[in-house]
Amino acid sequence: MKYALYLGCAIPIKYPGFEAATRLVCERLGIELVDDLPFSCCPPPTGLKMVHYDSWLALAARNLCLAEEAGLDLLTLCSGCVNTLKEANQALKHSDAKRRRVNKILEAHNRKFNGAIEVTHILDVLYQDSVVDKLIKLMAREIPLRVGCHYGCHYFRPPQMMYPNELSEAESYVPVRMDHLLSIIGVEPTEYSRKFLCCGSPLGANVDTEAGYAIVAQKLHYIRQRNIQALSVICPSCFEQFDMGQIALSRKQKDLSKIPTFYLTQLIGLALGFSPKELGLDVHRVKAKRLLESIDVA
Amino acid sequence: MTIKIWKFFDREELYECYQCARCTGSCPAMEVTAALGPRGTILKCLNLGHEAVVQDEKVWFCCTCNVCDDRCPQQIPISDLLVALRNSAARRGNVPGRLLLSLELLAKTGRTMIVHQLDEMRAHHGLAPLPPAPVDEVRAILKRAGLEEVLDF
Repeated sequence: MKYALYLGCAIPIKYPGFEAATRLVCERLGIELVDDLPFSCCPPPTGLKMVHYDSWLALAARNLCLAEEAGLDLLTLCSGCVNTLKEANQALKHSDAKRRRVNKILEAHNRKFNGAIEVTHILDVLYQDSVVDKLIKLMAREIPLRVGCHYGCHYFRPPQMMYPNELSEAESYVPVRMDHLLSIIGVEPTEYSRKFLCCGSPLGANVDTEAGYAIVAQKLHYIRQRNIQALSVICPSCFEQFDMGQIALSRKQKDLSKIPTFYLTQLIGLALGFSPKELGLDVHRVKAKRLLESIDVA
Repeated sequence: MTIKIWKFFDREELYECYQCARCTGSCPAMEVTAALGPRGTILKCLNLGHEAVVQDEKVWFCCTCNVCDDRCPQQIPISDLLVALRNSAARRGNVPGRLLLSLELLAKTGRTMIVHQLDEMRAHHGLAPLPPAPVDEVRAILKRAGLEEVLDF
């Protein structure tokens, strides 16, 4: 099992701990990562796409071409990156006009979009049967925590674009893979109201930081109602909302208890026996130390 | 250069909307800001024309979460409408300042994040330094794709 690793911007620059955790987990589970391809920013569905669609499509196409040239499917670690690269891949595969337009731009750099690869996300890669079998065999400890999963909107919306072959009767898609995967490592996945709504990150980043935090405060309200002990995310922007967001919110409301947030491969890494430090948990703003000690992980 | 949004979005789709407000009821941005909201956006496009919408800064009060699109019982591609409207707004100079800053960073560095003491931070996690992004090729592609219509770089 081999993929071209697409790191994006936020993970290698802001949260390299997620990258470290992902590399450790993939190596242990036999997922080979090729990562010497000169990718650029994806670019984000919340940024360039909103301002200039043609530039967004052309730059995304360049990233797709690099993976095509290497003959590998593209593995992303972020909900934003997977949204851009999957949607651009679909759009270019299905529209001759768009493909012609983009290839005309790329030909100056000797690149051509052929539509030869697929784009996937680390959650979907880990969810494959062969990987799960290996995880069960190699598991070193259980992680018995009540965890709330937050998928990040761009991982699965719009569903017609992200999971066209798995739509419900109402042509929608309700993600469950993170909950299932975590239940394998002894986690108690816990439902909460507004689970599938936004973390507020794009609104905060583009327009109004306070408004973004107001959205995450609402989510946290429902998360606390269910006595959830920790959160699991698959996107660095969502992570920042929950981790930094709780610090910002607690400045105004001092008595709020804080809930540690994990990136998915950090939780899987703990189950595989890696230490919190190896998985980069030491730099999170909301510390997980006491919670992990309560389940004898140190 | 301005563009007609109907190049990117089929105007006929707007007439499918019966203003049920399921989109707006789901909209996270509507709860915390004075956003137009998806229903209001469609109604304004129909009643006042899209020009009025693209000149309003509130067209940017949005999480881009696509939940409106997902829940629309008429299956109106609202995400496409919102992208078309904002692309049009950007060409008229209506873009949030901090969004423009992040795009400037992208055009200058090939990435949308500032790299500060990065090598030390990556070394802390046992990771090699991040190779530089291919800035020249990125800039050339963005220029050929026409980004200068909305941003000097």
